Amino acid sequence: MKRRKVLFIQFSQLRLLAKKFAIVILFLSAFVLMLINKTDTVIIEKTSSVATDVVSPLVDVLVAPARAMAGVFDYFRDLGHIYSDNQKLRAENKRLQIISEKSRALEIENKLLSKLLNYTPPPKAKFITARVIAEEGDAFSHSIIAYTGGEGNVKKGQVVMSDNGVIGRVDKPGKMYAKIILITDINSKIPVMVERTRVRGILSGDNTSVPKMIFIPLSAKLSVGDRIITSGVAGVFPPGLPIGKVSSVEKNNVKIKTFGNLDRLEYVRIIDYGLNETPTPKTEENSAQKDENNE
Amino acid sequence: MNEEWSENLASYFQRMLPLLCSLLMLFFSYVPLDLPISNHIRPSVGMICAYFWLLHRPDVFNLFSAYVLGLVEDVISSAPVGSNIFAMLVMYLLVTNLSRFFNAKPFVIIWYGFVLFSLVTFLSKWLLVSVYYSHFLPLAAVMFSYLMTAAVYPILSVINVFVQNRLMTDEV
Repeated sequence: MKRRKVLFIQFSQLRLLAKKFAIVILFLSAFVLMLINKTDTVIIEKTSSVATDVVSPLVDVLVAPARAMAGVFDYFRDLGHIYSDNQKLRAENKRLQIISEKSRALEIENKLLSKLLNYTPPPKAKFITARVIAEEGDAFSHSIIAYTGGEGNVKKGQVVMSDNGVIGRVDKPGKMYAKIILITDINSKIPVMVERTRVRGILSGDNTSVPKMIFIPLSAKLSVGDRIITSGVAGVFPPGLPIGKVSSVEKNNVKIKTFGNLDRLEYVRIIDYGLNETPTPKTEENSAQKDENNE
Repeated sequence: MNEEWSENLASYFQRMLPLLCSLLMLFFSYVPLDLPISNHIRPSVGMICAYFWLLHRPDVFNLFSAYVLGLVEDVISSAPVGSNIFAMLVMYLLVTNLSRFFNAKPFVIIWYGFVLFSLVTFLSKWLLVSVYYSHFLPLAAVMFSYLMTAAVYPILSVINVFVQNRLMTDEV
């Protein structure tokens, strides 16, 4: 009984002390979380994915009325543009029909030449279309959360595209939802090249709306309007995917305007090219497994 | 017994209301909007709510509420985990130590207070995240987010005032 009383007093004292230093403890916990996050371990990856799966449905529920309201607004806005849009689409349709004929001929020619050269084609891509349920964009990060609909549908590192081009990659795949890092995010680094000159570089996000191209050879000549595509180096992104075009060229600062409109993402395509995933962090478990496999 | 239980539940709900309301507004801030303006300059709703409730109802929105709000924001966003918690704690420190200058003052003074505190919070978060990434984030983008947050404060305050005056009792 006496021992219990002593324990209770000690516990109360501990609680008082904790209350007194709560702010310090919580600040420390924030720093510790950041440090753990920096180490990028599998545990953090998994915890983060689970947390995304828990919070995302709440956001998803809230999207429904907001979307309905936005839909009404869009309907009336679009009504005013129907005639001009129709004219534009007719002209575009004519242009696309000509391109389609040409590309069909080129495709046949390409197939024949590939056969002659005994060329091994890249694996066929599979994709799923995912609805964007949350968008995040401020000075500190640029990402979206998409509903992927089932476990194992998406994997970390898979390419995410909009109608016009690459917009990001899967960062944290959950069971039903996946967090996607946009190419404008500071964590995004994609090997790219200039389509015309084949000059290689890295497309690096900096949390602004126009990412920059870095690590370009000094002798490289770039001009405004040059198309930028993925180079396929490192094997995470397949080569040739459209990304954007050069919007400004200054000394050591080449800015790229993305083809995909990152401000208006409703549906995205998550594409599995069957390529390597982004390198997973090295853990003891993984190392042990590798050793076993080697033996 | 049943009445007591329902009273307790109501009281508990009242205590949780500021946090729940803040979380709801936080979730709303992530809803994709098809607007002509850029989606990448969004206000920091969590910061606005934390300031409002810490200033007006510190009895029901305390340190742990601020921490939870930061943690949830960390989960949704792709910013380094811990950075939003840090920002909320900085806001908590500022408000709890300097609230005497803004208490029972006109709305404009309270707004000025937010403009000042959020600047300190944004800059400290910017510094922390820059250290995390080992290079400085563009300050212009941070300032845009800050200005947007400061400008949106009165609008979100109206919602918070509604919750405080209509849905909450004075003492819980």
